[in-house]
Amino acid sequence: MTESENVLLKVDNLKKYFPIKGGIFGNKTMKQVKAVDGVSFEVMEGETFGIVGESGCGKSTAGRTILRLLEPTEGSIYFQGKNIAELNPNEMRRLRKDIQIVFQDPFASLNPRMKVRDIIEEPLINFGVSDRREREKRVLEVADQVGLTAAQLSRFPHEFSGGQRQRIGIARALISKPKLIIADEPVSALDVSIQSQVLNLMRDLQKEFGLTYIFISHDLSVVKHFCDRIGVMYLGKMVEIAEKHSLYDDPLHPYAEALLSALPSPHPLQMKNRIILKGDVPSPSNPPSGCTFHPRCPSCMDICKTERPSLQVFRDNHAVSCHLYESTEKLAVAAGELK
Amino acid sequence: MVQKVLEVEELKVGIKDEDGGRIAIVNGINFHLHKGETLGIVGESGCGKSMTSLSLMGLLPAGVERHGGDIRLGNLNFNSFNKKDWRQIRGKKIAMIFQEPMSSLNPVYTVGAQINEMILNHERVSKKEARNRALEMLKLVGIPRPEQVLNEYPHQLSGGMRQRVMIAIALSCNPEVLIADEPTTALDVTIQAQILELMKKIQDQLHMSIVLITHDLGVVAEMCDRVIVMYAGEIVEESLVVDLFDQPSHPYTKGLLASLPDIHEQKEYLSSILGVVPAPGKMPAGCRFAPRCSFAHERCKEVPPLFEMENGSKVKCWLYEDGEAEVAAT
Repeated sequence: MTESENVLLKVDNLKKYFPIKGGIFGNKTMKQVKAVDGVSFEVMEGETFGIVGESGCGKSTAGRTILRLLEPTEGSIYFQGKNIAELNPNEMRRLRKDIQIVFQDPFASLNPRMKVRDIIEEPLINFGVSDRREREKRVLEVADQVGLTAAQLSRFPHEFSGGQRQRIGIARALISKPKLIIADEPVSALDVSIQSQVLNLMRDLQKEFGLTYIFISHDLSVVKHFCDRIGVMYLGKMVEIAEKHSLYDDPLHPYAEALLSALPSPHPLQMKNRIILKGDVPSPSNPPSGCTFHPRCPSCMDICKTERPSLQVFRDNHAVSCHLYESTEKLAVAAGELK
Repeated sequence: MVQKVLEVEELKVGIKDEDGGRIAIVNGINFHLHKGETLGIVGESGCGKSMTSLSLMGLLPAGVERHGGDIRLGNLNFNSFNKKDWRQIRGKKIAMIFQEPMSSLNPVYTVGAQINEMILNHERVSKKEARNRALEMLKLVGIPRPEQVLNEYPHQLSGGMRQRVMIAIALSCNPEVLIADEPTTALDVTIQAQILELMKKIQDQLHMSIVLITHDLGVVAEMCDRVIVMYAGEIVEESLVVDLFDQPSHPYTKGLLASLPDIHEQKEYLSSILGVVPAPGKMPAGCRFAPRCSFAHERCKEVPPLFEMENGSKVKCWLYEDGEAEVAAT
C-alpha cells in the first residue's frame, strides 16, 4: 500500500456494546456484551478489505455499525474524511447513497411481497430520484449489469434460486452508484458452483465502477481469493491486519496461524501439521482478562493473562496484536527490515 | 477391507404429488460401503444426497418414499422391515449424526438422559450401567468435565460440544455404520478441525464404517477413502479420493473442483459452471448435466451409463465411452 492511495474509510477505535438487561423490572444493565471492542482499520479506495473470523467474533456487527444500522457505542468512522458517527439521521440517510450493503441470506433480505423491479428501484425513490422514466431506465441498466433479464424483473423473489436472489441484492446495492459496498457473507448461503458465479460478478462490477468492498466472511479460501488486505477478528478485536500474501504465507498471531491450519487441505495427499485449538470461543459477555485469546493460545505467556496487547505494525503492511511480537529486539529487527 | 457392510442397489426415492404421480429425487443409485472405510457422498443442494442418507435410516419425511431398490446391511434386507424392525436397527447397527446439533437434540432432556435413552432401548442393562456407559462415551468424545455435562441441557453447551454429544449418542451402542450428514457444516473451522479429528480417532478405535455426506470438498479430501459425486439425483462419478482430486473425469466434477478458490494459487476469476441445478420434476431428458456442460454433444440426448475407467473410477458420461469397459448396470 503506497502513501499516494486515498483512504476511503477510516475506522478508529470503534466499539459496539450491547447491554444485557436484568433486575426486577428488566431495566437495569447487568452486563455488556462487547461485540466490537476497539477496532481500527483503514480501507483504501478501490481495494477489497476482508474481515474474517469465526461466529460471534463481531465481524457482522462491525459491518453494520460502519453503516450505522447499529449505533456505535464509541469511536469514529471517517468516510472520505468526514466523521459519519456524528451525522444526524437525516444526513446519514443521504450518505448511505455512497455506502451500501449486501446481506448474507438472500432469502431473508428481500421482501417477498415486492416484485424484483420494485425491490431494485426502492433505493432510488429513497434517494429522491423523482423522474419515473429515469428510474426505470436505471433499473434496467443495473439488472443487465448483474445478469438479470428484463422479463425476470416482474417476478417475485421466491421464483428465483439463491444465486439469482443474491444478484438481486447486489443490483439493489448498486443502483444508487455507491462508492463502498459492505458485503456481509454474500456467498455463504450458496453452493460452490454458484458461489464462483457471484464472486466473478462482484469482481467485474468492481472493475467497471471502481467499487471498494468490505468483504465479511468466515471462509478463508474465499477471502484469500477475493480480498487485497485482510483483518482477522477474534472476540470483538482485530488481532491481525495484513496484505493477503503476507498473512497467508506467514501468519503472525497464534490465532490466525491456527485458523489457517484448520482449513481442510485441498488435496488428500497434502496432509499438514494442524494446530488444533483447545476449547471454544469464550462468551463476549465475559471475555478473559488480558489478551482474550490467552486461554486457547498454544504460546501463552504470563503477561498475556493480565495485559491486553495492542495492534502494532510488525513489518510492511502487517500489523499484529500479540505480546509475542512486542519485545524490543523483534521490533528492532522488524524496523531494520523496513529500512 | 474387502468385506461389504452396506450395499445399496437401484435406490429410488420420490415425492408423491397431488395427482398420485411421483417426482423422482433419487433416481436409481448403486453403491456399497466396505468395512472400516469412509465413503463420501458429495453434491450441491438438491442433488439428493440427504434423501439418500435418510432412506438408509428409514427416516424419510412424510410425503417422500422409497419406491424401489434394495438396501442390505450385512445379511439384513431393509425392504422387509416394519416399524419395529427399524427401531431395533437404528442406533444399534446403523446410526446417524445430523447437521444441526441444536435442533437434533431434545432441549427438555439432559444430555445424560438422551444418551441413556439410546442405551436402554437397545441393551439389557441397568440404569446405573447405562449411566456409566454414557459417562464413558462423553469421555471418548473428549468432553471436558463429563460428570457435570451429563446433568446439563443442550442449550448450556456450545455448538462443537453439542456435536460431540450427538456423536456420543450415535456411537453409544457401537454401530457398524455411522451416517454423518454434513456433521461440520454448522461449525466454525477451528471447531470443524476438532470434530473431524475426533471422528477419525474414533473410527480407528471402533473400526466403524462411515458414510459422510457433505458439500465441502475440503472435508472430503480430509476424511474419505472413496467418493461418490451426485448430481440431480444420480451418481455421476465414483472413484478413490486421490483419483477424484488428481484426475476428475466427469465434466461436473471438473467444474466443481475448478470453482473452488485455491488457497495456494491466485487467479483473478474463478471458473464457474453456467446455469443452475434443474428442479426435481423438470429434469432434462438424456444426460442431466448436458444443459450446463461445455462438452455436450448429440450423444448426450441419451442417458449415459456408468463407464468404468482404467483406474477403477466409474463415470456417467459419454465422453468416456471409447476404449473403456462398460459397467454392467446391476
